[in-house]
Amino acid sequence: MPYHEFECSKCIPERKKHAVIKGPGEDLTSALPLGYLNTIPGSISERGCAYCGAKHVIGTPMKDVIHMSHGPVGCTYDTWQTKRYISDNDNFQLKYTYATDMKEKHVIFGAEKLLKQNIIEAFKAFPNIKRMTLYQTCASALIGDDINAIAQEVMDEMPEVDIFVCNSPGFGGPSQSGGHHKINIAWINQKVGNVEPKITSDYVINYVGEYNIQGDQEVMIDYFKRMGIQVLSTFTGNGSYDDLRAMHRAHLNVLECARSAEYICNELRVRYGTPRLDIDGFGFGPLSDSLRKVGLFFGIEDRAQAIIDEETARWKPELDWYKERLQGKKVCLWPGGSKLWHWAHVIHEEMGVEVVSVYTKFGHQGDMEKGISREVAKKLRVPYLNAHAYHNGPWKGYEGWVRFARDIYNAIYSPIHQLAFVDISKDEIATDTKFVTQKILSDGNVSEEVKSSNELREYTGKYDNLTTIREKTYPEYPLQKKLSVV
Amino acid sequence: MHCAVKEKERAGVINPILTCQPCGAQYASIGIEDCIGIVHGGQGCVMFVRLLFSQHFKESFDIASSSLHEDGAVFGATHRVEEAVDVLLMRYPDVKVIPIITTCSTEVIGDDIDGVVLKLNNELLPEKYAGREVHLIPVHTPSFKGSMVSGYDVAVKDFVSYFAKKGEPNGKLNLITGWVNPGDVAALKHLLAQMQVEATVLFEIEDFDSPLMPSGREVSHGSTTIEDLRGTANALGTIALNRYEGGQTAEYLESEFEVPAIIGPTPIGIRNTDIFLQSVKKMTGKEIPQSLVRERGIAIDALTDLTHMFFADKKVAIYGNADLVIGLAEFCIDLEMKPVLLLLGDDNTKYPNDPRIKALEEKVDFNMEIIMNADLWELENRIKNEGLELDLILGHSKGRFVSIDNNIPMVRVGFPTYDRAGLYRHPVVGYQGAVWLAEQMANTLFTDMEYKKNKEWILNVW
Repeated sequence: MPYHEFECSKCIPERKKHAVIKGPGEDLTSALPLGYLNTIPGSISERGCAYCGAKHVIGTPMKDVIHMSHGPVGCTYDTWQTKRYISDNDNFQLKYTYATDMKEKHVIFGAEKLLKQNIIEAFKAFPNIKRMTLYQTCASALIGDDINAIAQEVMDEMPEVDIFVCNSPGFGGPSQSGGHHKINIAWINQKVGNVEPKITSDYVINYVGEYNIQGDQEVMIDYFKRMGIQVLSTFTGNGSYDDLRAMHRAHLNVLECARSAEYICNELRVRYGTPRLDIDGFGFGPLSDSLRKVGLFFGIEDRAQAIIDEETARWKPELDWYKERLQGKKVCLWPGGSKLWHWAHVIHEEMGVEVVSVYTKFGHQGDMEKGISREVAKKLRVPYLNAHAYHNGPWKGYEGWVRFARDIYNAIYSPIHQLAFVDISKDEIATDTKFVTQKILSDGNVSEEVKSSNELREYTGKYDNLTTIREKTYPEYPLQKKLSVV
Repeated sequence: MHCAVKEKERAGVINPILTCQPCGAQYASIGIEDCIGIVHGGQGCVMFVRLLFSQHFKESFDIASSSLHEDGAVFGATHRVEEAVDVLLMRYPDVKVIPIITTCSTEVIGDDIDGVVLKLNNELLPEKYAGREVHLIPVHTPSFKGSMVSGYDVAVKDFVSYFAKKGEPNGKLNLITGWVNPGDVAALKHLLAQMQVEATVLFEIEDFDSPLMPSGREVSHGSTTIEDLRGTANALGTIALNRYEGGQTAEYLESEFEVPAIIGPTPIGIRNTDIFLQSVKKMTGKEIPQSLVRERGIAIDALTDLTHMFFADKKVAIYGNADLVIGLAEFCIDLEMKPVLLLLGDDNTKYPNDPRIKALEEKVDFNMEIIMNADLWELENRIKNEGLELDLILGHSKGRFVSIDNNIPMVRVGFPTYDRAGLYRHPVVGYQGAVWLAEQMANTLFTDMEYKKNKEWILNVW
């Protein structure tokens, strides 16, 4: 399989191995593009830094925490309000961010005193919050402030508070990925095992590598609760600091995003013997398989199947309405790390969409091995969807997947998208068509049978589908077994 | 009843109003044609700034990174700047201007970028790129000093001082706009066109608002040329609208090339726009035409419909860049409003002696606080815990939750304003800007009255 040398990369031979063209019948594993190498200087890179990989991606979705960065103000400002990880406590962690505001004099004389003052001020400003995560930045790493020592000093003086320190300066690795690893390991080393949870179910999991983008976590937790499973913690979306200190008591780690969080799962397996089960909330098939796997692990497949049946009956006709209208349409995928092959495959299977290229900015070679892209890697002018932050998500769950299909449909069949290709100085302008709707555009090539189907229907959910989930009550499954001491 | 000027008392920052210096240098760099900056530091220092620009403008901008990694942080990373310049020149054959913008990390490790530029000028450029026009400009913007505002100020000065070259007088006016939007540049150029004044605008950023064309997507980029920058030394005079965003460049041109300088005021509101036009008249000898008298009249007419009936005594808090905040406050006072809290988002030591702040201190006849080095917690804490009552907030999108959570209407103004559509297209300066701002404020108050059912019936007749 040939590597693909983009025109713009001709002058940088070492870039050649970063892209491949996959032909029919070729096995992608024979020539994977390289990833997770140092960025070539002078690139207009989409990559972030190891600080953002730790703080912004993994730390900040934790909801009941003061998230403070020790450094000049920019790192904090830049990683604040630029992601859609929400939480059910009125988005506290999304709204507030804290910088120690390191200045020139601190660079010269040290900023440990400043740091301590900052920590105390922040707890004072938010007296109901007793937990803090503290992040090193390039500047504080280079001047060598002992952040751990200051955190310990404050904890000794204020026994009611707890502080987590993450030393992951921006320069620590080729991309945000280095920061993912550092914060995973730092969390298990510093915090896991510090809190003993109340166990309320025979089936106890940690939900790992899930960041509650637009509410994904809440959608998935809903399924687990309906199965009678206790979700001890979520690492980290909508997750609670103290819950995450009790991760060692789960029976199973259910892992969503391996790229950012497999490290902590692997450590939990080594240190506490907790098995890891990789799951996927995107797509009817993979989600159903995932729920079945979790059910199977605990011997409650029937509960899983009941949910799968109910959800499929409710949402499949809506997914298929879009599938009929998206057949053969081309899209370009631009997700974050590990989901790329998965998405390409499932989007094709369940929506009929052809994925023409995938792209990763911080994925590793391992991610490239996970699946098979169907098409030639070739960038076309196609409607673009941000698979990182979503348009109108959540996109996980059965309903979420329909929302994703709806968003793709609305992007492809936008009347404005059609108008954008018209050149009024050259093209013949039809004077008889006054307007078109998405459906007029999409249904031109759809059979009568599909058009008049009584079964298929457009998305019927609400703009905000989370409020109903948050207000739900769940069936009680009394504890059967005696609690075993792990 | 008085105006108190003070510093934020806390050491730290809870919800910053401004980001750090390199962002400002990057904003200046995208205003220049055939210019791609290299930010010497970690990748986040570029990626997030590009994200910020693209959030504000809904467009993408090119800025490169030297991608500082661990080895560079330990052993020095000047070689990565050398490589970055080479890669950029190879991949972008049209690039002529490359500012090398430092960050906290590369300033702390002490990379000598001036030395690197010298070396590249002596070796790489003549050896590999002979005959190609390339300008490498070191810009020192350590993040632990100043803010994005001072970073912008520094970069404008560095660009102008690099290029400005004495030649024949060009009869033009230098207009240094400060950190503004495409809509502001259009409004300022309109005023100058009415006065038949030719100007070099730093920077020509109207094209940041770029079209989606049938042939494919156009690139958003500024169009100030190298020739424009060279010619600044030969102008009739310089008007820098914002003291802290280009003011020192005007001073430089005056001291170095005897180009007369007028700094400020930020032409927000009728009064400040009047002064701006007077300054233009003074420098160019051109008369203020009837068309502008009429345009001003239309603006005054629009404001008169709003002031005493809707704006009078409304309490306003304003945060952001100092020049913008002061300009908005002065305008609000003319509209009979009471700007009770001004939050200046950085710690410039010149603020206490700023004549505009001095004037507020001396003349304001209601209680006003001006907080320097402020963060957004200064605003929110006063509302939540200290009983501050407000009718309106003026500021950028990063403070949106102060408005949302406290049910106080807010008009987005400044940078960034990503949570409202198309604001970069509209001016806040000039007579047009005065009308736009006042009507935005009025309509925002009206919507709030209706939403809260607070005398919403009053608009039944108006």
